Parts: sequence; structure tokens; C-alpha cells
Amino acid sequence: MNALTDNPYYRYLRGYALDPGFSTQLSTMTINEVNYKIRWEQVLPGPIGEYVEVIDIDPASDCYYEPIDLNAQNVLSQGGLTPSEGNPQFHQQMVYAVVMKTIHHFEHALGRKIIWRDRDFKDAGSIKLQYVEKLRVHPHALRDANAYYDPDKIALLFGYFTASDQSNGTNYPGGVVFTCLSPDIVAHETTHAILDSIHNRFIENTNPDVGAFHEGFSDIVALLQRFTFPELVQHQLAITEGRLDRFSVLGELATQFGQAIENERGALRGAIGKINPQTGKWEKLEPNPTDYKMTKEPHDRGSLLVATIFDAFQRIYQHKTQDLIRIATNGSGILPQGSINHDLVKRLASEACEIGEHLLHICIRALDYCPPFDITFGNYLRALISADLDIAPEDENGYRIALIEAFRARGIFPDRVNTMSVESLRWSRPNFTKSEDAAFQTIADFLEPGVNDLLKLTDRKEIHSASKKLQAKLHDFLGGENPEFNKDEWEESLMNKLGLTSEPIKLRFDGKTHTLQAPPLQVHQIRPTYRVGREGRQIQQVIISLSQTVKVPVRGKEKIIFRGGCMLILSLGNLRKVEYVILKNIRSQRRFDMQVAYQKSQEDFSMNLSTYQSEQMDPQDISFKQLHFHSH
Amino acid sequence: MATSVSVKMYKMGELGDCFLLSIKHEDTLKHMLIDCGSFRNGEESKERIRKIVADIQDKVKSNGLDIVVATHQHNDHISGFVHAEDMFEQIGIDQVWLSWLDNPRNKQASRIEENHLNLRNQLSEASQKLAELAKTKTGRLASNQTALKMHATHQLIDDVMGFFGAAPKLPAQGIKILKSIGEKPVKYLSPGELKQIPGIPLSAIRVHVLGPPKDEDLLYRKDPRKDESYDHKLHSLNMMAFHFLRALNNKTSSLDKEEEQFPFNASFKVQLSQSRQFSKAMSKVDSVYKSRHNAWRNIDNDWLDQAARLALYMDTFTNNSSLVLAIELVKSGKVLLFAGDAQIGNWLSWEDIKFKDKNTTTESLLSRTALYKVGHHGSHNSTLKDAFEKMTSDELVAMIPVDKSDPNISKTNGWKMPAQNLFQRLKEKTDNRVLRMDEGFAEGCNPKGDKEVKNAWSKVGEVKITPLFVEYIVE
Repeated sequence: MNALTDNPYYRYLRGYALDPGFSTQLSTMTINEVNYKIRWEQVLPGPIGEYVEVIDIDPASDCYYEPIDLNAQNVLSQGGLTPSEGNPQFHQQMVYAVVMKTIHHFEHALGRKIIWRDRDFKDAGSIKLQYVEKLRVHPHALRDANAYYDPDKIALLFGYFTASDQSNGTNYPGGVVFTCLSPDIVAHETTHAILDSIHNRFIENTNPDVGAFHEGFSDIVALLQRFTFPELVQHQLAITEGRLDRFSVLGELATQFGQAIENERGALRGAIGKINPQTGKWEKLEPNPTDYKMTKEPHDRGSLLVATIFDAFQRIYQHKTQDLIRIATNGSGILPQGSINHDLVKRLASEACEIGEHLLHICIRALDYCPPFDITFGNYLRALISADLDIAPEDENGYRIALIEAFRARGIFPDRVNTMSVESLRWSRPNFTKSEDAAFQTIADFLEPGVNDLLKLTDRKEIHSASKKLQAKLHDFLGGENPEFNKDEWEESLMNKLGLTSEPIKLRFDGKTHTLQAPPLQVHQIRPTYRVGREGRQIQQVIISLSQTVKVPVRGKEKIIFRGGCMLILSLGNLRKVEYVILKNIRSQRRFDMQVAYQKSQEDFSMNLSTYQSEQMDPQDISFKQLHFHSH
Repeated sequence: MATSVSVKMYKMGELGDCFLLSIKHEDTLKHMLIDCGSFRNGEESKERIRKIVADIQDKVKSNGLDIVVATHQHNDHISGFVHAEDMFEQIGIDQVWLSWLDNPRNKQASRIEENHLNLRNQLSEASQKLAELAKTKTGRLASNQTALKMHATHQLIDDVMGFFGAAPKLPAQGIKILKSIGEKPVKYLSPGELKQIPGIPLSAIRVHVLGPPKDEDLLYRKDPRKDESYDHKLHSLNMMAFHFLRALNNKTSSLDKEEEQFPFNASFKVQLSQSRQFSKAMSKVDSVYKSRHNAWRNIDNDWLDQAARLALYMDTFTNNSSLVLAIELVKSGKVLLFAGDAQIGNWLSWEDIKFKDKNTTTESLLSRTALYKVGHHGSHNSTLKDAFEKMTSDELVAMIPVDKSDPNISKTNGWKMPAQNLFQRLKEKTDNRVLRMDEGFAEGCNPKGDKEVKNAWSKVGEVKITPLFVEYIVE
């Protein structure tokens, strides 16, 4: 090792912690510029690194903007360019920093590398998949109050637009608002891309929670990432006298973007509360047990998920800081009016930041415990609880209880769970009979060498191709004949336990029963993970997602696409153990009926569908472009 | 003596609304026309409309029309007043009712109209510009990706703007004609107002105004979203349209001063056409972007999508500006609800109306609705579920002014009118009493050969179907 020639660990880049407008307000000016600490990597001008390529083309203006070279002397020596709205090169730096930071949080929490969604395209009639190394990022792609992730291009497109003439909030009237400078928006869109890389069927609109989940989850990540800036948290807690439930910028997203729209004060999505349009005063959002039932529009439903997680945050924060408050108040627990002691603020902020980071990682990890499609909020709660139980069995600080309380307060109950206790919410552990155990053991035995090989790889492309090969092998194994089991045993002991079948399926539609051929099996991912939990516990698992798809004729040429399958989690330390099978049964008439009812209610005036037209009544993909056009 | 209203839904042969109400009270007979228009303005459409207006003339005879209502400025509700202006002059119109948004003396309305007009003009200019840019020097459609996309965007805008008519000024012209055609001055109606049918006492018939809302938030809202005080305003949309249009103009002419500095100072811009002067770093990025293998990721034309969204937004706004009337037959308590093409924001606003008539509530009007003129030809977003569920009268009948032969509907991936789920619910709520402009009795609603359906119809007023209209009488 030579300390002089080794690469540095981190690259520091200056950027905004909140929307740039906060830099022009005295109260937030000092804390809005922060240093983003980004894992060091080789970058070319763009910046173009291992995971992303920033290509700053502005087609509406017929121009490029000169790419920033992060290694240039004047940039490297100063921790990046000085934040400036008027310099496109700073925009490139900012967008790179936030995207990379978001990726790192995911990699840390998931314990594996992020590999973008494959490009799928038709070539000579068949569908081909292609590895995509880098996510494209276009900071100035549109002249629109819009920013979105495009899953077909595997790209983030950010727009810019002029703020309306009336002066309000922190905007300069008539000035240009750049969505790529809002850390919330960038983190949000990046999360869409990452979520899509993990669960590429979460964009299939099969129930009212799916679109909401993509939105809500992306906001959660954006929101919790704020708690990675201690200066910002300290500053805001000082203002709110140590309370998280008072008005602060911590609970609002995309403030400037929201303000830029004519005479609308307040941010786009407030997680704690919002300005009451009648009184003009900020009000805390109180949970209501009917919230979940009454909220239908995807953004609103997404906000509900954000509010739920933020509520859990507040509960944990309160629980963890009671002692500090008691110490500071000689046991009364009631803080006096006015500013609170600076040391106390610092201690409170460090608690808040720790909770923020833990919660962020819990939320991300839970993704591996979600079914591979047709996600509901109830499923997500169960995933959160199961994921956290694995990583922190003790739960000294009550994270899980806080989460359960927050979900319950809004009436979000998982389907068919008897009690809202940690035990019943955890996905049930498989309880195998002897022959089932034997069947699963054959899978584990079969996979072990391949998984061990995968673990040795570090290059993303190699991981990608090795996983694909292993997937193909597992596919053949599951679909083929196994001499040790007869067909019935295989079907009952294994396939059915995985929510799959190798026999024809019967589904009723409109009073008619359709018998559909046993659908082909798909193995979507096999990814080993290696994570470290809150309590220092390390776990190693393999995440495997399996699915089958049937097309049920609806009328004429229209067909409804229905999927079944599971997320299979095997413990890696002891491969023989099946940790969880999180399934959606392909033979469930009940779930099929629910999907049909929902999709019928979504039938749309087709002009609105111009971006997701389809001949079939398939689970229409959620269009991020549509979802993000803030015209609703 | 009884009061009754006969409602004739004229067969426009395409998307369109034209309803003639003949209101009888004791010995008095009054005629009210709600909208008269169809989607297109070709000769065929004109002829058909004139034939329909001739029939109206025949029905009202020398009495003329007592009231003419125009719900909103879309071609498919208004074109008839232009194409058959002379005939309406002949028939004679006593009074015209329009929404407060058409009132030139209302400042809020004028400001909205100005912004609206501005946006409409910018969009039609953009559409024209796109069509031009898509052509080669010889006037043919160029075959490159950008040209194709520009052409498609142009078509999409025109498609949406079609509601304003091929000539976007036509509906405005219709309103202008209506403003001067009546014997008496135009009445501009606001939510909560109580109107009388001239010659019929308020103790017999009351007309309540429900929409369009004065709250601009609701005016602009298309989807049912509660608790959000944030929305685009026409002004912001105009600014976006402005920059969009300018970008198009700059494709053919040199940059103007302002555009030079937008969104960044000119010194930061590296013109795409000047690839020879690219720096080394710029060339590298350019080669990644331009690489043939990466063509699928190209974003050259994605910014154009904005135009169609702006057009759609404006269209929604116009639908939402619909004048909504609830005509109450006092004695029987029955209500006829004409919702124009009101979209969700309009519907949502009814909840908070302060009625001049203190005894009236929206809830009670909905619960007594015996005839619902389905909004926007039965599209999914023009009937608010919560409000529709409140229509609990067991005599409820629905009329959908829809024609499945309209190319907008019959084309591949055509408009879903009526939306399947809405249609199902209409049938359930009305006990299979749904009438359609094209088919008369809607699918599954024909009393012939079905005992239950026949029984359901026997509980309500008479239906008459002729080649020109579908008539239903509320008694």
C-alpha cells in the first residue's frame, strides 16, 4: 500500500441541501450550502462515472452545455464549483452528487450493487434484453415544470421553467426554476430508477397502491436523505425548539418547485402538515383511521405513505429523546418557551440524524421483502417488519412498534392479518413438511455453487451476466423433470408453495371459467446480499424472484394480464434454510377479481393515455411522465 | 295540474350535445334549448345540424325558444349557433343564459378569458409551426425522427383542440352570436342562483345554478384530488407555452435577445450545429450521445410532449367551465340535471354552494335527480363518483349524448366513451334505464324482450325514438 498513490475514499462536492431559493433567504442562507461526500470514482467530463452519465443537451435550445470536469484543478481543489443557479456546469455537478448519494444509500442498505433495469426491445419479433451500465441524466431536457424517469430510455429528464410573475416564497419572479437543482426532485427521480431496477414490475398498475408506492417511496427517500445533513437538522431543530412536529423545512419537499407556481405557497408535498388555504396558517396533519380508505389519487395516496413513515420517525424521535429533554429540564420534561440550549440542539439533532439514517435503510431493505409485483401498502408494512426483524432482532428503540402505530393510525392494515403485532405482521416463516423440505433442499443444493461464484464478482457487468446465467439454469431446473420427485410431489411440495403451478389454471371472468395452459416460468433475479444491521448483525441472503403470467381473454382481442409468483429469500450462511416465501398466488381467483375491478375503474379517456396506449387491457404501465405532470 | 318536461336528445351523428326541453305547466308551454353543436364543421356536419334546427323550429313553432343555454365554449356544444345562425334568428330566441365566465363585465372572467385566449392562440401557433417544421422544402412530410414527432405532436394538439373546432375561433363566434341574438339581455349565471322559466311560476319550476365554480382552484382541476391547494394556473401555462413556442420559432430564425439569455447566458451555450468548434470534452460527450448504439436513448424530441399536455390541460379547463343547471319540478320533487361537460373540479364545488333558495341543498337535488344528462359523452372523468352515488331516486334515467360511429371513438385506441365502468354503474343505478344518442336504448336497456327491463321502464315516463332524436318525458 502506498498512501500517495492510492485513490482517495471520497470526493467532496458543494451543493444545495434544499432548493436553491433557500440560499437567498437570510434565515436559511447559511445552511443551504453543504458538502456532498461522494464515494470516489474515476470520472470523465460530464460527469460520466461508473453508474451515471450526465449528458447536458438542451434540445429545445439547440445546444449543449460544456461538461464539467470534476478532476480539473479549479474544481477538485475547491470541493467542486460554487453553487450557482446561473452556471450549468454547477447543475451537472449538483445532479451528479445527489444521484450518487442516493445510489450509495441503496447499496449500503441492500448490501449489493445497483444494476439498472435491462433495456428490453423488440428485435426481429422477439424481445431482447440488454445490459445498461449507466443511467443517463439530462439536467436540462425540457422546458416544462416537470422531471421524470423514463424507463424506456433508462434516463432521468429534468425540466426548467419560468416562475410566475407574482412574487412569492423564495422565487425570483420571472426567474428560471431548474428542477435539477432541487435535491428532493433529483433524489426522488433517482429513486424511481433504482426501484425500477429492483422491482421492474412495480410500474404495472394492478391495484391503487402500486403507482402510489412508487411516488411515496421516492418521496420517503428524498425526505429521509435530508437527515444526512447534521447542520441543516440542527438549524431547523433550533427553530422548532427541538420538535419535529412543528413547521420546518425538514418535512416539506420541493419547496421552490411548489412556490414557483402562481400564488401557491408551501411545498408540493408536505409530510408533516400544510398551509390551510382558508386561514393561510400552517397546520399539522393529524392522522385519521379513514385516511387510507378515503385517499384514492396516486399522488395523494403516495403522500399518505410519506406521512406514515414521517410519523413513525417522530414517534421514534420522541421516544429516544425523552431522556434528553428530562435531563435538560430537571425532570419536568417541559421545555421553557424560547430558544433551547445549543448543546441540547446538537444532541437532539444527532439523534434525529441517526434515526433518519436507520429508517432510510429499513425502508430500502424492505424492498427485498416485497412481493415482485402487485405491491400494496399492507405488503410493505409486513416487509418493513420482516426486514427489520432480520437485521435488528432486539429493536431496543421501538422502530417496529412506531411503524406499526403509524400505519394503524391511518387505517393501513395488511390483508388477512389477524393482529397488528410484530409477530403476525412478519411474513410467515415457511412451515415445511418433510417432502417440501426435501424439495426446497434440492433448489438450495442446486444454487449453492452458482451463488458462491456470484459472490466473488465485483464488476457490475460480470455480476449481471453471471446472474442471468444462473437464472436460466434455475429456470430449466424448476421447469424440468426431477428424477427424485414425481410430478404431483413437485407441483404440491414446491411449485404451489411458491405461488406457481405447472398445471393448467382456471380463472373465472364474467361468469365464464377459462382454463389456461400452464404458463411459462420466469426467474427474474438471483442476487446475493450482504448487510450489516443496526445491532451490528450481519446477514447474508439470496433474493430470488419468480413469476408466471397468464393472459385471460376479456372481450374481442383484449386480454387481461395476471401474474403470480414470489420473492424467495434463502439464508446464505446456511443455504438450506428458506427464510421467506413472499407470494402472490397465480391461482388466486380473489386477487384476480380485485385486479379486474381495479383496472376496469381505470379505463381512461384515451387522450390521457396517449403515452401508454395499449391494445390489450394489460396491467398498463404507470407513466412517470403523466404522474409527474403536476396538472392534476 | 301537473308539470312535465319532455327532453329531446337530438342525434348529432357524431360527438355533440343538443337538448330541447319542452316544459309544460298547466296551459303554458315553454321551450328551452341546452347546447347545439357537433364535433366537426364539414359540410356533412353543417347539413345535419341545419336539419336538426329545422326540426326544432317545427317543434317550437311560432312560440320560438324561450331560453337558450350554452354550457361551454366547445365546438361540440356550440357550432350549431354559427352554422344555423339564420335559422335561429328566424325561430326567435327570447333570452340566452350563459355562465358568469362569459360575462364581459366580470373582471375575474375577463382575466381568465384573456389568459385562455392567449394560451389557445399560442398553441394553435405552435401547432402550425410544428406542421411547417415537419415538412421538407418541397412541402412533403420529412422522414426523420424529429419531423415525424413534430408532425405527430401537431396532430395531437389539433386532435385535442378539435373541441374548439378546426377553426378555434368558431365556438367564441358562437358565444358572440348568442350574446346578441336574444330579445332580452343575456343572463350570466353564477352558482347558487335561482332562475325562473319565464311564464312559469317558481312554485312550479325552479332552476338552480350549480357550476361553474368561482373558485379558480376548482376551475382548473381535472382529477378528484382533495386537500391540495396547489395547481397550475393558466398564467404559468402561458409562460410555458411561450417558451415552447419561442423554441420552435428559433429553429428557423436567429435567436432573439431574450432567447439568447434563456435559460443561461449565451456564453454557456454550445450550439449543436457547431460541432467543429466543440472542445475535446464536449466532443467526447457528443460522441456518446450521438453513437448509433445509443440512438434508443436519444432525447432530441422528448421536450415536444409538453405541447400536447398543455393542449389537454386547456381542454380540461374549458370542460370544467361548464354551466351546470338543476331543473327542479317543485311538486313532484323531481330534478333534471344538465351537467354540460363538467369535470371533477366543477362537481366538487357543488358541495359548498350557498343557495339563494335557503331550502335547497346539493345533496337533496342529487337525491331527487330523475334525469341525468351524462357529462362529456360518458368519459370517465366527467362524473364524480361520490356525487353520482348520491343520485338515489328509484326513477333515475340517464341520457348519454354519444355516437360510437364518431371517428374519435371508432379509431384504434379511440376515446373510451362511454367509459365501461361508468356505463356499468349507470345501468345499475338506473335499473337499466340508459338512453344513448346513437342507439336509443343502450345495450341491455331495451324493454323489448326483457321483462325486467320492461318493468323498470314502466315505472317512469315515456320514451320515444325517432330518426332525429331520442325523447324522454319527465312527469
